Amino acid sequence: MSAAIDTHELTKRYRRVSALTDCTVTVPEGRVSALVGPNGAGKTTLLRILAGLASQTAGTASVLGGPPRQDPAFLAEVGFLAQEIPLYRRFTSEDHIRIGAHLNPSWDAALVRTRLAELRIPLDQRVGTLSGGQRAQVALTLTLAKRPRLLLLDEPVAALDPLARRNFLATLTAAVADAAGGLTVVLSSHLVIDLERVCDHLILLAGSQVQVSGDIDTLLAEHKILVGPRKDTAPIERAHQVVHTVTTARQSTLLVRLKGPVIDPAYQAEDVTLEEMVLGYMGADEAPAGKQLTTVGEES
Amino acid sequence: MISFRVDGRSGVPPYLQVVRQVRQALRMGVLNVGDQLPSVREVVAAVAINPNTVLKAYRDLEREGLVEARSGQGTFVRALPPGPPPGTHSRLGHSLARWVREAREAGLDEESMESLLRITLRAADAADSESEEIA
Amino acid sequence: MTWLVWRQYRAQGAIASVLLAVAAAVILADGFHIASQWHSIVVRCAGNSACLQQDGPLVNGVVSDVPYLSLLVPVVLGMLWGAPLVAHELEARTSDFAWTQSVTRTRWLTAKAGWLLLAAAACGGVLAALTTWWSGPINAISASAFAPGQFDTQGIVPIGYAVFAMALGIAAGTVARRTLPAIAVTLGGFIALRLVISNFLRPHYIAAVTTYYNVTGSFMPRGQAWVLSQGAVSRAGVTVAAGWGDLYPALPASCQKLLPAAGGGKGASLTAVFSCMKAHGWRGFVTYQPSYRYWPFQGIETGIYVLLAAALIGVTFLIVRRRDA
Repeated sequence: MSAAIDTHELTKRYRRVSALTDCTVTVPEGRVSALVGPNGAGKTTLLRILAGLASQTAGTASVLGGPPRQDPAFLAEVGFLAQEIPLYRRFTSEDHIRIGAHLNPSWDAALVRTRLAELRIPLDQRVGTLSGGQRAQVALTLTLAKRPRLLLLDEPVAALDPLARRNFLATLTAAVADAAGGLTVVLSSHLVIDLERVCDHLILLAGSQVQVSGDIDTLLAEHKILVGPRKDTAPIERAHQVVHTVTTARQSTLLVRLKGPVIDPAYQAEDVTLEEMVLGYMGADEAPAGKQLTTVGEES
Repeated sequence: MISFRVDGRSGVPPYLQVVRQVRQALRMGVLNVGDQLPSVREVVAAVAINPNTVLKAYRDLEREGLVEARSGQGTFVRALPPGPPPGTHSRLGHSLARWVREAREAGLDEESMESLLRITLRAADAADSESEEIA
Repeated sequence: MTWLVWRQYRAQGAIASVLLAVAAAVILADGFHIASQWHSIVVRCAGNSACLQQDGPLVNGVVSDVPYLSLLVPVVLGMLWGAPLVAHELEARTSDFAWTQSVTRTRWLTAKAGWLLLAAAACGGVLAALTTWWSGPINAISASAFAPGQFDTQGIVPIGYAVFAMALGIAAGTVARRTLPAIAVTLGGFIALRLVISNFLRPHYIAAVTTYYNVTGSFMPRGQAWVLSQGAVSRAGVTVAAGWGDLYPALPASCQKLLPAAGGGKGASLTAVFSCMKAHGWRGFVTYQPSYRYWPFQGIETGIYVLLAAALIGVTFLIVRRRDA
């Protein structure tokens, strides 16, 4: 399977601040990838570079086989939905459908009209007067109407209520199902629960760097929570990659990426959930990996 | 027609939840042999989960022999899940009672017993799915 | 792309067309009114130029501010349409939508800027034509076709100004990324450039003609020439502008004595001074742009503004293509 996205040491610097540092990720075709990280980690920067709206300071990005470029063929294949849901507020949905028809060579106007009818969003109402959820649906459907091969969505559900969120993700997953592997999605979001049901690939950004990336199933299999009595964790650190450690007076809990089997019998190895793994990496970014945070508490 | 529920917080992988809900529907008679399962697209549009999740679940069910995919038409129920042979429940119930007595003597309370059972079930599931993936 | 431009500007375009039509109607009505007054004066004066010079300014229309339209409309268009062109899309983030459809930013900008520049040129042209026609009587009696307020409101230069103001607005909006600062820059930049060019560059488009004449006689360039400077020049090359204040100290003593003590004089004593000056080798001179250079000057000034507009648009394209959205 070829890669829809392939970046190598992608870096973006603004004067003295680095928004992205040495990002190397691969997203295979057909995946729905979750781009996760705290605010300011570089998620928007990465998506905008991949969409061709910004250019990198260093490193390379290959999107659908070539660099992001201002070329109608490339632009037709990549759909981008920015966080602010950019639409012309004074125009109606029908206006936007016509604009899309004029500006895109392959345009499925019927798709938009049908979907908006299903959602009971009137076509002749000014987009600025729609609710946030409705606007997000209009924008998503318009992005899908040009039948892209890659969809880049920047925090599209952040401001939506749970029902609107569910509807949005349903539209998205239905489009992925329809495309039968021909549509790749990168979706940035804070809400890990939504991500786990919709996404099968993960890119975790923190502090402008990629902390971990890969297929979610593989990553979850490679990571374990090791719980055991508090003691010297150096052997574990030698044998595996310790991502995050929490220590109480009597107990150590480590999030570990395995490089082999866990031999130490003192430790109990437990499966990790996606949320635990993500939080472990994001927490680890605030302090050096493996640093022990002592909390006052009883042994459990 | 069966409708699915996927609980993001249950700790059980989504595809396994789908597999179990199909098996449950078969056991309870909601689905019968010859019925058509909802298409991947229908499931996904209703429940907002990754299509690959549904595909994986349907593949698992096919491997178990419970459903079959007919190209161009959809996925149909082929057989009901095997029930336990007669006497299994009582036999298992007895050995369970013995285990509970043993655990109580060792000092476990009800909560510890439940948590031990849950962990063991999860580990068994994981081992099952791992061996299936390798297969 | 054309459809999008029309859809985005159809309301504003309608308003502008209506305003332009109203302005045209007013100017036409007023112009006919002036023309009929002028016609009766021409008949009455029957070719007597002194009579025309005296009675001509009596012609007045209801609207005397017509030339101001020609001055203001270009910069207003640049401020209201040009400045928001790129800036508003960036502020409202609709550029994130427009620039991820299947059109390149170059094509997007070409369509939007192209149509706006065309509209500006059309507005400028219509107003220039109307103002030129309306100014017929004024032109007939005016001393110089190059007078400010006359040269820059008629002919083809208003087209150049309009295209330049629009290009300035578009470029300012692109650089500033925000509409309000761009509007301010457009207004300020337009006024500044107009002042600089008309005061410092325009006199020198073509090297002026200097004619020397007999100081006891007089000379005025034919037609409605643009007199840049006039006065007298001595045999040694000392140039003195017209006016007794500068002339008196420069004269040789023998000529100074001939001036009445009060410093100004009746015609008779002046003749004596002039004869004295001529005897000492003084000549009169007039430096001017001849009236036949009116259209070449119109062409040169229009060309300058169009070139400036092209440079601004070129910069705009570079920035829009290269810069992060």
